[in-house]
This record gives sequence, structure tokens and C-alpha cells, in this order.
Amino acid sequence: MHIPDGYLSPATCAVTGAAMVPVIGTACARVKRVVKDRHAPLLALGAAYSFLVMMFNIPIPDGTTAHAVGAVLIAVLLGPWAAVVCVSVALVIQALFFGDGGVLALGANALNMAFVMPFVGYGVYRLAARNTSLTSRRRALAAGVGGYVGLNAAALCAAIEFGLQPTLFHSANGTPLYAPFHLAQTIPTMALAHLTIAGAAELILTLGVVAYLQRANLPLLRINHPGVVDTDEELAPTRGLPALRWALIGIATMIVLSPLGLLAPGTAYGEGASADLNLHKYGLSAIPSGLQHYNGFWKHTLLADYGFASGRHSSLGYVLSAALGALVVGAAILLFVAVGRAVARRRPDVQTG
Amino acid sequence: MAGGATTPAWLLESEAGAFPIGCSGRRRRGNALEKTLDGLAKIVRQAITSEETAARPGLLQSLDARAKLPGVVALLVAVGLVRHIPVLAGLYLFTLGLAAASRIGLWGFVKRVWLFIPVFTGVIVAPAMFSFVTPGEVVLPLGHWFGHEVGLTRQGLTSAGLIVCRVATSISLVVLLTLTTSWPGLLSALRALFVPRLLVLVLGMAYRYLFVLLDSISEMVVARRARTIAAGRNRHGARAAASFSGGALFGKAHALSEEIHQAMLARGFRGEARTLERVRLRAVDGTWLLACLVLAVLVVGGDRALGL
Repeated sequence: MHIPDGYLSPATCAVTGAAMVPVIGTACARVKRVVKDRHAPLLALGAAYSFLVMMFNIPIPDGTTAHAVGAVLIAVLLGPWAAVVCVSVALVIQALFFGDGGVLALGANALNMAFVMPFVGYGVYRLAARNTSLTSRRRALAAGVGGYVGLNAAALCAAIEFGLQPTLFHSANGTPLYAPFHLAQTIPTMALAHLTIAGAAELILTLGVVAYLQRANLPLLRINHPGVVDTDEELAPTRGLPALRWALIGIATMIVLSPLGLLAPGTAYGEGASADLNLHKYGLSAIPSGLQHYNGFWKHTLLADYGFASGRHSSLGYVLSAALGALVVGAAILLFVAVGRAVARRRPDVQTG
Repeated sequence: MAGGATTPAWLLESEAGAFPIGCSGRRRRGNALEKTLDGLAKIVRQAITSEETAARPGLLQSLDARAKLPGVVALLVAVGLVRHIPVLAGLYLFTLGLAAASRIGLWGFVKRVWLFIPVFTGVIVAPAMFSFVTPGEVVLPLGHWFGHEVGLTRQGLTSAGLIVCRVATSISLVVLLTLTTSWPGLLSALRALFVPRLLVLVLGMAYRYLFVLLDSISEMVVARRARTIAAGRNRHGARAAASFSGGALFGKAHALSEEIHQAMLARGFRGEARTLERVRLRAVDGTWLLACLVLAVLVVGGDRALGL
């Protein structure tokens, strides 16, 4: 995702660079306040760490390689503002000393990987981890998902920066002056590469490192998580309940409101009875025989058309259908989870390493 | 040994503009781990090469980094604004001239840039030559697709050529900068360009400790390989090892940062970064900067005179 010089117009570089100036300024000020005078060595080592994470290449079948960025991992471990500084510094070293990523494009690269990525990823992590303890599995998984989402957000930004070039900068006869691909081409291409391999690499790295630190080096996780309890046992016992209660309230509201569907005119596309088909519109003279035969093949339903057989009390029928449906789906999910747990319990823990 | 032991002449010789060259002979296709090890070794090699060429006498080496960096950035902006391939080609020749004047081996310089281009830029730019990406005047028809003529378009070819030339010239300029400037020089240049003091301090320390962590990683990878008995495929094991290494490396980095902090405190660090007294810029530095700016303006002006 390191954009080299020459792909983006100097105007794009200037705009993204200008956008990064206040971000870097704020990050420096915030970091100074949070980590006090020990900021410099910690950030320096964080930057070196980020640089090295980007060195671990994973081969892709097409011959090129993908690598994780580690921005979300650093955001989880040291905070998002520290991640801004660390990844920016790593990018500067790469651009100025190793020729990886452009010098003019530094602003764009920093915007994608040092600002959008850690903040989006960290936001997802915080949302997904919620109030769980420091050693809970959910927290590690939340970090992994944060890494995945963060990387894809960064890739999307890069795709937009690329994709705007031919629209904004072309010569009189339509020759694109910079990156030649349009948004409709850059977004799917970048999404394909990053939703699959690069995203998986980021997810595995972030999840793996956080899970490892949960087991082996908890003090490192405490740096950015002051006040978070260590284990699930220390959590207040009623923690999980409000979420469940809100979920149940939401489902109940939807059940009560379900008769609103009666107000909608017409039928959903492809769901109407064969008698309602507008044959003329499709150039047909008769209902196709297969459709005729299989339509109404299953007649043994309890609440046909979400109502009673008599056709009366349609609102009540809707509510009853919704409640029954929710119950059946809920029971199926519970059964599925119970079977999964039973299988997991039967299988002994396999130690690898 | 008659005549006493002397150092052989070939050992004392310094290779003019030696560039990191890959191993000769047949190469075994390594796995991801080995490739990463290669990559790590390449970083060190590149850093050493840069230090070596930066210490050599030459045109760009004699300039102060505080003038060199803004000059190169001005030229990079000019390269970005140019819209004609011949002008870009001229600028590329200019970088070759600078390399020769700075005693950088030309063959290695050209190779370093052009080995990168087909692999990265070429693959990306190739589809843009076709009419389905860049519509326009078809100059090399390749057939028909749903009644439309498909082929290479003039616009697509020009665009691809522009990008390749621009990327090559830009990379050449940056390579010239990195090969002729020491890291402390670059840091002082950044400081002169109003980069926050904290960031410059972090940059300097990050670069220094990068190599310490690099050693740690190499040791970890080698240790793991030494303990691996069979070359079996164990995807889960490899993934776990990557996670453990990543976690352990972060632990090491953190412990190291604590030690560095204590060492800094012991030497009187009070949260305020200080830099050495600056040397005044000389006339030649000012001349270079002015020349770069004038050249940039002339190139962009000339390019616009050729038409948009």
C-alpha cells in the first residue's frame, strides 16, 4: 500500500500532506502528555517495531507479497495517537532511507496508514471489546477484527486517492496524467487484495500478538488499558445482562410493529403468487408449467401468508407469526451453540508450538 | 611468507560504487521465513552501502543536507508537474549526470531503479494501455468485443509512458539523496524544515534501534530454524510462531525502551531534546538550492510551453 512518487498529482500530495500536519502536531502534544518524558524511547522503539512488522512478507499466489502494517496493534498497545507517531516515523525512514514509498506521497501514505488505519481499527477494537477483561478471548478477537477493518479502511482511502486521479488530472485529449484507473477499477482491486490476504495477515498478526501478550506479558497490555480488570472472574456478575435485555427489548418492539407490513402496497419482487404475475410484461402467454406445478407445492403451513386460515384478525396473525418465527430461530441458534460447545468440550486441547 | 605479512591489495581496494548485488549461482526458492531473513539482511546491506557512498567525495556529498533535501523536493515537485515524456527523459538524464558527478556507479544506479519499475509499476500500468481502461484513439487494434473495437489506445500508451518515466525519475532523485546523505545529516535537514523536535528525536532513535531489533529478529528466526527438525508443513505452527515472535519482540522493544529512558535520565535528560550547534550553510549550498529552484521553474515552464 506504499504509494510511490509519480502516481499521485502534486496537488493530491499537497492536500494530504496538509491534512497530516495538524494530526501529527496533535499526536506529538497528546503523546507528550500521556507518556510524559519517557515518550521518546517508547515511541522510537514502537516506530522501529512498526518498520520491522512491515518487513514480514507473506507471499501471494500472483508472485508479489503482502505485509501487515501493525498500526492497529500499536494503537491497542500504546494508544492511537502513539500509533500515529510510530507509523509516521516508520514511513519516513522507509521513504527517505530505503526508497519504499514516495517522498512527496509521504502525506498520502501517512494519512492512510498512520491516521485512518489506527483510528478506525482502534475504534472497532474498543466497540467490540467493550467491558471485557484484559485476558478475555473477546478482547484478542476484537483487536484482530480491528486490524482487519483498519487495514481495509486504509486500502479504501488509497483506492480513492488513486481513483480520483484520472477524473481530476487529464490532458485535453483524455490522457490520464497520473494513476490511470478510475474509482470503479481501483476500489474493487484494492478491496480484493486487502479483504483477503493482506487483511488476513493483519488479523492474524494483531490477534496473535495480543493473545500471546495476554498469556505471557500482561504488563505490556496494561500500558494502554489502565483500570481494566485482568480476568473475567473480577468482573461484576451482572455485566452481560443489560446487553441481552436490550436485545430482547429490540426484538419485542419489532414483533409488535410487524403489522406495519400490511400497509405496504403490492408484493415483494419474485414473491407474489403465480396468479398475480403480469404475463404480458414478460412476453409470456401462459404461466410456465414448472412454476405452476411447484407453486403451492408445500401447503402444510401453520400460518400461511403470516395470518390465520380464516383471513380475519390479520394484525394479530402478523404478531403471532413474528413471535413464533423469532422463537424458532432463537431455539435453532441455541441448539447450534449447544452442539458446538459439546463438540469443543469433547475434543482435548491440542498444544502446538 | 617472504617479505613479511602484508595486507593483499585486493582487500584494501574499495569497490567504486558497489551496490548490493544478489547472490550468484542458483537460488533455491525459500519459504516466507527465509525471504524475510533475506529482506532483513538487505536492509543492513542497503544502510551500509548508503553510509559508504555518503562518505565518499563527490558533488552531492559535499552539499549540506539542509540545502540538498529542499532542492531534491523542488525537483520532485517539478517531476510531478511535467506532462511530456521527452521532458521527463531529460530530467532522468540529469539525475544520471548527478550520479556520475557524485561518483556513484552508474550501472548499479540504473539497475536499482529499473529493476523495481517492471515488477511494481509495469504490472500496475500495463492494463491502462488498453481501451477498456483508457478510452481513446485505438492505435493497435486487437479485435472486437460486443461490437466495440478493443486495443491499445494512444491515450493509454502515453499515460503508461508518463507514469513509468515519472516514477523512474522520482525514484532516481530519492536514491541520489539517500546514497549521498548521512542519517544525521538528513535529521538536521528535517529539523531545518520545521519538523517537530520530538519527531526528529524519535526518528533518530528509531533508526538507531531498528538495527538492534533487527538483530533480535534474526536471532529469533535462526534459533527457530535450528530447532526445526523436519521441513514439514505446519501452517498452524508457523502462524503461532509468527504471533509469538511478534509478541516477544514487542516485549524486548519495551524493555529496551525502559533501559534507554533510564540511561537518558542518568545523562541528564529532562524531557527537552537538544541538538548540536549547527554549522552555517556555505555559498555552494545556497547555489545548489537556487539552481534546483530555477531548474524546477524552467522545466515546468518549458513543459507548459509545449502545450497542456
